Amino acid sequence: MFSKADNSAAWAVVLALVLFFIGGSITTVVPPLVDKSWGRPFSNQDPSKGPTGHLRPYTALELQGRGIYVREGCWYCHTQQTRTLVADTKRSGWRGVDSPISTPDEFVYDKPHMFGTKRTGPDLSRVGGKYDTQWHRTHFRNPRDLVPGSVMPPFPWIANNDAEFRALVAYIQTLGRAKDWRPDKDYEK
Amino acid sequence: MPEISASGAAAAKPAVVHADTTAKWFVVSAISYFFLVGIIAITIAAKFVWPELLGTVAPLSYGRLRPLHVNGMLFGWLLAADMGISYYIVPRLCGVKLWSEKLGMATAALWNIIILGAVVSLMAGWNQGLEYAELPLPLDVLVVIAWVMFGINIFATIATRRYQQMYVSLWYTMGTILWTAFVYITGNFATEFTTGVNQANLNWMYVHNAVGLIFTPVGLAIAYYFIPKSSETPLYSHKLSMIGFWSLSFVYVWTGAHHMLHGPISQWLQTIAITFSVMLLIPVWAVVYNFFATMKGQWHQLRDNVPLKFLMSGTVFYLLTCFQGPMHSLRSVNAIVSKTDWIPGHAHMAVLGAFSFFAIAGSYYIVPRMWNTKLYSDVLANWSFWMMILGGLGFFVTLWLGGFWQGWQWNNPSIPFIDTVVALKPIWLVRFCSGVLIFSGIVMFAYNVMATVIGRRSYVQ
Ligand code: HEC
Repeated sequence: MFSKADNSAAWAVVLALVLFFIGGSITTVVPPLVDKSWGRPFSNQDPSKGPTGHLRPYTALELQGRGIYVREGCWYCHTQQTRTLVADTKRSGWRGVDSPISTPDEFVYDKPHMFGTKRTGPDLSRVGGKYDTQWHRTHFRNPRDLVPGSVMPPFPWIANNDAEFRALVAYIQTLGRAKDWRPDKDYEK
Repeated sequence: MPEISASGAAAAKPAVVHADTTAKWFVVSAISYFFLVGIIAITIAAKFVWPELLGTVAPLSYGRLRPLHVNGMLFGWLLAADMGISYYIVPRLCGVKLWSEKLGMATAALWNIIILGAVVSLMAGWNQGLEYAELPLPLDVLVVIAWVMFGINIFATIATRRYQQMYVSLWYTMGTILWTAFVYITGNFATEFTTGVNQANLNWMYVHNAVGLIFTPVGLAIAYYFIPKSSETPLYSHKLSMIGFWSLSFVYVWTGAHHMLHGPISQWLQTIAITFSVMLLIPVWAVVYNFFATMKGQWHQLRDNVPLKFLMSGTVFYLLTCFQGPMHSLRSVNAIVSKTDWIPGHAHMAVLGAFSFFAIAGSYYIVPRMWNTKLYSDVLANWSFWMMILGGLGFFVTLWLGGFWQGWQWNNPSIPFIDTVVALKPIWLVRFCSGVLIFSGIVMFAYNVMATVIGRRSYVQ
């Protein structure tokens, strides 16, 4: 079978495509059909089943902020996933409370997805509610004013543009809030 | 292999005169982008050392330049160089002229339009937000058109071939064209209709296979052609090359989800990705064994054959990077290295160390032949090799060490995150210096090629 492809381009083409499509379809088309949680927004009222809460769609302002996050490439330095590793749940956690792990149903409104591949900065999947607006303004103006040693770039064109700044912060504050886990809810540092 | 010892076959029939116009244009523009994007590369490396650098200029900020670096290197340099070299190799392996130089020239022009469009849109922040698929939709459409033009030309050349049997490089080139079409469509168009984890899964299928089913097969097509050519030794085993090719076409596509190990994606999918990632060792070892066995008794040629130096060190990097890959996909190793600076170390070894080295070797080999002359300077070529290999090793090794250390620290939550950032600063400084070395190698390479093209002669020879 394979040696036929030596002399016949048509054979080579067919064979190469068939082999490719077996894995190609099983790993892309099948998973969302099998795993319904990929498309169903998170919602849970029963504490015995884990963290409660409910995922709501983004508002127009939050979507605008998300667009800025995409545009500025924040996602090249920040991931948005608390993985199933103890260290991740502790690092995303707050005031001694470990954060719940990220599950697919928390991301159904995310387009483009912002899971990320590189943590030059900390994971942001649970950063919503961690800092207040003033903190973010100072941080975007110059991260090193708040965190000496940081390598996050300054974003003066955001910090000085009120509309963009408010949108971006509105988006950041939504991160990880579908699951109701943060002890004293908001803005304590 | 009858085709590769082309002298025998060609002597029997009237020699075909190749125009190579398309190949020339692709190679020259690719090398120009290699140089230009190299400047961006060292700029972003510098930003890790001096985070304020160009900090108030939005189009030059890290988040805008990084995608430009990645897309510029992948599509402006590497893929264009690979296409140019294919336009050279395929007609020769088929014993006929390229089907249409006109179509080829149009493809080259379109490709340059795409790359210039990419520069403008990425710096303007017009970014789709998906890795490797950052380019805005209109440019994606142009890429597909250019790819179809490339495919038609190559397949039509193969269809009119004079030699019945097809050498391995031809299968790999055909495979690249077919798979790329589907992989690219999945990553750039299917993602438009999905969100969240579903979209991420398609995105990683694309990212992984951009390397595995685009740059790997076309890179191997080049290596399979030039290793025997530049060492004037026949390929060791036809059978082994078949095992390598067909296992690659089956195994690679399954592994995308290994980019999300431990993450919010189904466990069964992670396990499939891990299993197939480990199986990747089969196509890799089959290929690498074949290359090494071909070189048996010929290693002395490395001393003063620069293309061969690039090819064989590229092969070693290919072996290493494809050993790392399966290892990273093991859950325990992944828990340490994933998301750290180890990963750029790994990625650069694949794209720079292996596949760019193959493309550089190919360029050094074909440029003097296409222009019917000699290389401007062999000494400079040798220097470019040593700069790139030293810089490359410095880059890879420091990032592995640094990344491993970083991952180790992250797994101890009592260490504040910022301490793990500060700890990496010496690593980023060495990375920057290594980048400067690599870049100087690129400058020597580009200068050497351009000087050859415009017909300058070195006095040293
Ligand atoms: C070059 C990489 C880089 C880029 C690009 C980047 N950051 Fe950061 N970010 C960091 C680093 C490093 C830290 C940790 C030190 C600090 O807090 O400044 C950080 C910290 C943060 C924090 C605080 C997280 C916490 O839990 O303390 C937030 C919020 C943040 N970044 C948001 C953003 C946003 C929004 C963008 C895009 C506009 C962005 N970052 C772009 C590297 C980056």
